[in-house]
Amino acid sequence: MSAEEDLADVERVLVGEVQAFEGIVRRWQGPLVNMAWRYCRDRGRAEEMAQEAFLRAWRGLAGWRRESSFSTWLFALAANVFRSELQRFPTVNVPLEDAAEPAGPATQHEGLARKLSDDSVRRAVLALPMRYREPVVLYYFHEMDVAATARTMELPEGTVKARLARGRELLRKRFPHLCEENTPLVGSTLRPEKEVLQ
Amino acid sequence: MKSNLNPNTDQGAIDVILGGEEELIPSSGFLAATMERVRDEAAMPKSIPFPWLRALPGIVIALAALGWCGFEMVHLGLTDAREISITQLRMAATAGRALEPAGWVAAALAVSLLSWLFARRVAGRSGLL
Repeated sequence: MSAEEDLADVERVLVGEVQAFEGIVRRWQGPLVNMAWRYCRDRGRAEEMAQEAFLRAWRGLAGWRRESSFSTWLFALAANVFRSELQRFPTVNVPLEDAAEPAGPATQHEGLARKLSDDSVRRAVLALPMRYREPVVLYYFHEMDVAATARTMELPEGTVKARLARGRELLRKRFPHLCEENTPLVGSTLRPEKEVLQ
Repeated sequence: MKSNLNPNTDQGAIDVILGGEEELIPSSGFLAATMERVRDEAAMPKSIPFPWLRALPGIVIALAALGWCGFEMVHLGLTDAREISITQLRMAATAGRALEPAGWVAAALAVSLLSWLFARRVAGRSGLL
């Protein structure tokens, strides 16, 4: 994505060309919807939250001071929107300890079983306390880039690293089989540690 | 800058699962719906800013009145305190009289503060602030 294009569109919007904002939405709709999806894992809600973020960006475009790149500013703004949206209406999830682990013959439907298992790990992220959940969500959204995560959260890198480590530690405790090499995921009798994510 | 969080050790599986998520493609109507909301927003008249300049004299007068009330309260309190030490009987009567309006002023101030805080809270929830 081109920073020059963003800058040009922003300039046009600021002189009153509403239509120029379409270029910004077109370029950033994918990242923002994906980011919102990782916050709530609900497609409809993710699009609503991304739309709200774009609307806030439209309102606050004049406030972008160009000290950081447009993408950094947009992601930070979106993270604030998603955070406050989730505080107002938290996601409703089945408690992790109640979610059944994939079970069945290891040799059959392995692909599906792995997908289910992966999905339960991804959903487990939503059960983390917010202070650990957000760094985990953003770290993987930013393709494991701590600096980008810290910029989006507007926090020092050290703080992000510490929270990230704690969040991953909670996930590791919740899914101990992920740490054991060659442990079959299918047919596993491991039970989640109830107290970990409460 | 990429992380040094040791992705090849015991966190590897978590990294692979959380990092290897498929990209979600926004629905076809997302762009149009977003731009419609932006256009609606652009077509709306701009909110009227608070007329600080016009309100300034009123604010100054209110602050001055408040300051004067405070001064009077302290002044009356000190005067009464001095009189208390002279005559016990007079003290009981005048101090009671002086503190009565002070109590009312304090109550009025407390009610104003509470209503202001409540209004801010309601406005904050509705997104006005």
